[in-house]
Amino acid sequence: MRPEGQRDDKPIRKLKQLPARHIMASGTPMCAGCGGLEAINEAYDVLGENTIFVNAAGCMTLLSIYPYTPFRGSWLYTAMAAAPAGAQGVRDALDVLAAKGKLDRDEDLEVVVLTGDGSAYGMGLSATSGALERDLDFLYICYDNEGYGNTGHQYSGATPHAARTATSRGEHGFGGYKKDLFSIWAAHRPAYVATALAAEPLDLAKKVQKAKQLKGPRLILALSPCPTGWDFEPRDALEMGRLAVETGVWPLKEYVDGVVTHTKVPKTRLPVERYLGRQGRFRHLFEPERDTGQLDEIQARVDAYWDAIER
Amino acid sequence: MKTASRILGTALFLDGFEVQDAPRYGAERRGAPIFAYVRADSREIHERGIIDRPDLVVVADDSLCQVPAAGVRLGLSAQTVVLIRSREDAATWRERLRVPGPMLVLPASSTDDDGGESLLGAECVGAAARLLGVVTRDSLKAATGQELERLPEEVRARNVRAALRVFDGHADHAGIVTGQPTLPLAAQEPPRWIDLQVESADVAAPTIHAGGTSVQVRTGLWRTMRPVVDHERCHRCHWMCALPCPDNALLVDDAGYPRVDLDHCKGCMICVAQCPFHVIHAVPEHEAQTAERAEAGDA
Ligand SMILES: Cc1ncc(C[n+]2csc(CCOP(=O)(O)OP(=O)(O)O)c2C)c(N)n1
Ligand code: SF4
Repeated sequence: MRPEGQRDDKPIRKLKQLPARHIMASGTPMCAGCGGLEAINEAYDVLGENTIFVNAAGCMTLLSIYPYTPFRGSWLYTAMAAAPAGAQGVRDALDVLAAKGKLDRDEDLEVVVLTGDGSAYGMGLSATSGALERDLDFLYICYDNEGYGNTGHQYSGATPHAARTATSRGEHGFGGYKKDLFSIWAAHRPAYVATALAAEPLDLAKKVQKAKQLKGPRLILALSPCPTGWDFEPRDALEMGRLAVETGVWPLKEYVDGVVTHTKVPKTRLPVERYLGRQGRFRHLFEPERDTGQLDEIQARVDAYWDAIER
Repeated sequence: MKTASRILGTALFLDGFEVQDAPRYGAERRGAPIFAYVRADSREIHERGIIDRPDLVVVADDSLCQVPAAGVRLGLSAQTVVLIRSREDAATWRERLRVPGPMLVLPASSTDDDGGESLLGAECVGAAARLLGVVTRDSLKAATGQELERLPEEVRARNVRAALRVFDGHADHAGIVTGQPTLPLAAQEPPRWIDLQVESADVAAPTIHAGGTSVQVRTGLWRTMRPVVDHERCHRCHWMCALPCPDNALLVDDAGYPRVDLDHCKGCMICVAQCPFHVIHAVPEHEAQTAERAEAGDA
């Protein structure tokens, strides 16, 4: 048991190797049971203290409110669409300092973009694509709570079909479909792309470790069960993540060197309604009457995804 | 609270008043204090914005008094009635908050007379309506029903019952809120300017070099339920409970036992759900505090 943080780069294989105490400090203003905060906690332990976060507007920008910060090092706030551009500036500055001999190797920082899905799937996509094009050496962590959380959970490009949001209040919820950000990134042929979530800490830690060892643009896309926006009890945050994996709604996978590998394939997938039925944002699919049409459609889409993988 | 303010506003409106009601949020997030304002007058209201000289302040949860951002005492005068929902008595709160005017307590309990979960918003609005003295029982009833129209019939009915029960229970204090005359512009105090010296940036806004300063923020105040670990039955598999704690509030001691950091635990109860041996129990915070006080008294 290591007391604080992951201090060496020994390959992570077992849950027990993960630190008992996170390096991120307590006292943040995130909601009780925030699945996004937990994912960041777990990732930060592996990244270590030599990390600078470049954070676009969203829930997590409230992590650092002067003079309080849970981080051990620097943090930079950017406009919603501009975090990858901010990361470019920071990376360049570090490189310039190193080239001038003003930065020791052990002082170098891992530049990490931290944004919600509103930025990652929508507003910030152009800046992201530009950074990928320039082969910027950075890690992008997106905590995907499937909506604009900080402003009251309006829909975003990551909102799943049929979910109720502050801007999709109609009878059938959100009419669109969740964007496939994993594939959008992979199509740019970056160094690394992975999906993850806090409920699978070992899978997440391994992926962050792998990402840390690579250079170039890298993405950790973490599904982040959000009790406030999804309407479930905070205590169920991890359970919700597990159900997302076991129903096949959130495939755990990674992309390296042009190849996509699934890191965890549920042997028998649970029906999607086990996941949907636990969240208030999908209540209208079950009450007052069962919306069989929508439920079947959602199930069919998940099945089609896995059929294509398993073929 | 936003809904409570709307109910009060609608009730006043039904009784013939001009009304404004508006919520104010910082972040739309659990744990952040929220404010809701109701302004009513028999004449047209020209004032806008937040209320800085309230006639009645309703504090829905007494833990807000410890949160600076909640600003519970802002604008209190000898005419302001303060109603606070608490398990402690009015004398204690008057002393603690140094309230210059009338101070009342709305007794807090976790269940209501129907045996269901207590309906905090409905209770606050029932009391507020009675203290104002100008809202009729019928309007309160109608407004509660109207504002909760989208809720299932049974939930709406419970809210109406709760609001009316508290309304009836406060007959002794009916009309205690008198209302302060609107100050003419000339009589209003100008803002008190504080001249700041021009200082260098590192003095005026010092750079924080230390990490982890957020431990100064006591998020433990948010908690309504407390996780209590039964160490005798604990198997010390702390990676099950301490690792996934989003607030890093389960500290593992040298022997491998998880210990709850009460200053920071927000009471999400993820650890309770996670423990494979079910040895972490969820205890209502007020019960845990009462037990603690009793223990301290015995010692
Ligand atoms: C250009 C711009 N538009 C709107 C906002 C207001 N705003 C602040 S946070 C936020 C929500 C961001 O959503 P997301 O990126 O999903 O992060 P989350 O809030 O869910 O953490 C919005 C819309 C902003 N800061 N900048
Ligand atoms: S709104 Fe959701 S994502 Fe934002 S802090 Fe709360 S739980 Fe976390």
